[in-house]
Amino acid sequence: MPTIEQPAMNQALDAWAEQLIGYAAQLPPGKLALVGLIRRGDILARRLSEKLRAAGCPALCGALDISLYRDDWSMKSSKPALHSSYLPFSTDDMYLVIIDDVINTGRTIRAALNALFEYGRPAGVRLECLVDRGGRQLPIHPDYTAFTLDSPDVEDVVVHLSEEDGTDSISY
Amino acid sequence: MNNLYITNATDPAGRQVDCRMGRSTGDVTFAPAGSISAPAGARIIDGTGKLLLPAFFDLHAHIEQPGRSKRESVTRAGQAALNGGVWGMLVMPSPGFMFDNYATLDSFRDAVSQRALAEMYAAGCISVGMNGEQQAPYNTMAARGVSVLTDAGAMPSSTLMLYRAMKYVAELGLTLAVRGDVPELTRNTCMHPGTTSYMLGLHGTPPCAEEIGIETVLRLARDAGAKVHIQTVSTAESVRIIRRAKAAGQAVTAEVALHHLLYTHECLGDYDTNFKTLPPLREEQDCAALIEGIKDGTIDCIVSDHTPCTPFSKKQDFISAPAGMVALDTFLPAIYTYLVKPGKLTWPEVVRACSENPCRIADPREPEYDAPMQAPLMLFDPRETYTVSEEHLSCGTLNTPLLGTELCGRVTLPLQ
Amino acid sequence: MNPRKDLLTISSLSDEDIHTILDSASAMKDIFTKSVKKVPALKGKSVLTLFYEPSTRTRSSFEVAAHRLSADVTTFTVSTSSVVKGESVHDTIDTLMSMKMDYIIVRHKNSGIPAVIARHCKAAVINAGDGAHAHPSQAFLDAFTIREKYGTVAGKRVVIIGDILHSRVARSTSVILQRLGAKVAYMGPGPLVPPEKHTGIPRFTNWESVFEWKPDVIYLLRVQNERIDTPFFPAQDYHQAFGVTGERLRRIDDLDLAIMHPGPVNRGVELCDDALEYRNSLICNQVENGIAARMSILYHLTPQTPVHE
Repeated sequence: MPTIEQPAMNQALDAWAEQLIGYAAQLPPGKLALVGLIRRGDILARRLSEKLRAAGCPALCGALDISLYRDDWSMKSSKPALHSSYLPFSTDDMYLVIIDDVINTGRTIRAALNALFEYGRPAGVRLECLVDRGGRQLPIHPDYTAFTLDSPDVEDVVVHLSEEDGTDSISY
Repeated sequence: MNNLYITNATDPAGRQVDCRMGRSTGDVTFAPAGSISAPAGARIIDGTGKLLLPAFFDLHAHIEQPGRSKRESVTRAGQAALNGGVWGMLVMPSPGFMFDNYATLDSFRDAVSQRALAEMYAAGCISVGMNGEQQAPYNTMAARGVSVLTDAGAMPSSTLMLYRAMKYVAELGLTLAVRGDVPELTRNTCMHPGTTSYMLGLHGTPPCAEEIGIETVLRLARDAGAKVHIQTVSTAESVRIIRRAKAAGQAVTAEVALHHLLYTHECLGDYDTNFKTLPPLREEQDCAALIEGIKDGTIDCIVSDHTPCTPFSKKQDFISAPAGMVALDTFLPAIYTYLVKPGKLTWPEVVRACSENPCRIADPREPEYDAPMQAPLMLFDPRETYTVSEEHLSCGTLNTPLLGTELCGRVTLPLQ
Repeated sequence: MNPRKDLLTISSLSDEDIHTILDSASAMKDIFTKSVKKVPALKGKSVLTLFYEPSTRTRSSFEVAAHRLSADVTTFTVSTSSVVKGESVHDTIDTLMSMKMDYIIVRHKNSGIPAVIARHCKAAVINAGDGAHAHPSQAFLDAFTIREKYGTVAGKRVVIIGDILHSRVARSTSVILQRLGAKVAYMGPGPLVPPEKHTGIPRFTNWESVFEWKPDVIYLLRVQNERIDTPFFPAQDYHQAFGVTGERLRRIDDLDLAIMHPGPVNRGVELCDDALEYRNSLICNQVENGIAARMSILYHLTPQTPVHE
């Protein structure tokens, strides 16, 4: 399996953060918030917000568990334990950036949008992902992706992050 | 019966014997193997490796099948009995076989003579309709061959009614068969109190209820001068009480149901209704004491307490499901597999408890005038094993925990 | 958590199952603080409450839980007068199977009935209390409440007081607390506390020994005289002998112990009036947590009813 490891991962995150800083510059100050999807999107969101703060461009950061909003779990045999969503700010009039590790069918994002709108009425929502592996089933497209692995040869994409898995890598 | 000649079989005492059987049950000659010869024209059966035993008599069988005709109940129970090595049984009264009047007794006798493959004797009711209030017509029943009276394994709730019944039947020479119980103490209970009952949230049947009941019956019978038979003894203390009464010379006999020797309350596991019995399954130490009671003669008989229950009724929850299991089809193989083979009982002890003693207790004949009831012989091959399946259960229902388990032994009964 | 159709007892769950359900209950509780107190997790699913015993609290707690997960809730009213033994339960199951229910929440006075129903239908069956057997959702809310209060259940000492013999709450709650590493003791009138050799749980019959045992939580059971046909104990002096009197409340306060009760409380029997206002009473938390725990249970069960793929 081909693998992307460090330092390529970190370089990609730096570029991602650069892009976010560019986006923030277009917004009113203090209106940018990163919303990571549990489990791994939230880790990426935390890392990105660290990089933003270091660059002098602080952004709010939260985590969202979308299990309760999925439309496919009733077909699954079992469900994962829920994690608490953590959005320590009002989403009203905020510019939210959904951060996730891999975008595939788009169903996770559909669920995330539903979940997010029950917290309030944001001014805008963007979608940014580490990996786009194609295979979309819904009209949802990321505004930014660090890696695009959209090839029929790619059967599975596995993202490891050191906070959760002890190592940083993307295997595909 | 044809002339039969059985060679080289093993008798209960372990001797190799030949056996010549004439046309009647009583016409039997035993001799050491090889010492006599087959009569001309006799059918010869090779008994090598098989046991030649007197067939069993079951003192406690419920044969009525809910939803089935009486004739079918009789037919099925008779076939089941032969499968399990039982040639005759005492049939407990039940709603469909309410043996409290001559008409029911006569129609039962008719059904048996037309349909039954095994001998069946009716146990008369103690009280009319088994309701524990009015004594049944004992003279009428005795005239129709009833020798044992019972309210089907229950203790009449009225001590006074029972006491008077005892005084009455003492004159007639009948035996009262009663299970020790104090109904007030066992109401709304369905299993032995212990860890399992606590875990399952089922209320426990205190052993003392049975023991107090037995003491009461014995005390009443002593006073009334009646012969009593204690049914389905289940606790160690009950065995001790009966042992003391026998030592004091009281006319008492006692039985234990086979399932009380094989299983404990822990078998109920996750509400397995096949293990719901009355009285309930007790503890390991009770099983041991009951077996000890058989060995020393305190317990006279092992009975089947055969009780067919419909699949629906046993599929209900444990509290709603009826008590009882079917046991005739598997009677001798289960006794051999679980009691004789592991060395808990010997063949002579089994023959005494399953054939000699029950025949004597159930015998409706007057010993002074008639020859005593005699059991026919059967062959039992302990080498064969089989897994109990629906086809082995002729009794008509499947409520036995032995279903799907492996048993040893095959019965040949009747011999012909 | 492994796929599981029914929740009948705590004992049938693995440690992982217990932790997963408790963890998810915390996340469920967060939903209560949002402006939209509802998630679409069970949208389009049908939940049926089948109560053969009267109960307002447990039933409405389950109903609120199901509503907050967006399920459709049907209440099957069983008139107790028409219930004769277990037969009607079988008939009812046949009816329910035709109704294509996904979840059946059942309460019955006979121990073991939910298991009978679970065996006979594809719906997920949740035992909401059967006889003196089990009440697993109560166990989860109790464990959750203790964990929320102390951060952990492990090492806590909980004494359950009252009619243990007839209590499904005692049976289920003691099992979950022990599985989570707590120590449990029983206290109550002699005839109503089974011997330790049957339960494996220390048995007390007076308050003095309870205090000596140094509990963290005093868990009082409801005195259910309606469920007992023949009196087991002198009823008049229950409060004096086994209840939380004013004097005992002061001692409980001094020792900083928590008080729990599955409700509804018989004032002046299990608890004196002041005890209901006690600062460390977790009784209201139990009610709120009951909804979260039941949401988590509903969410984690997997009915075997056909799903449109």
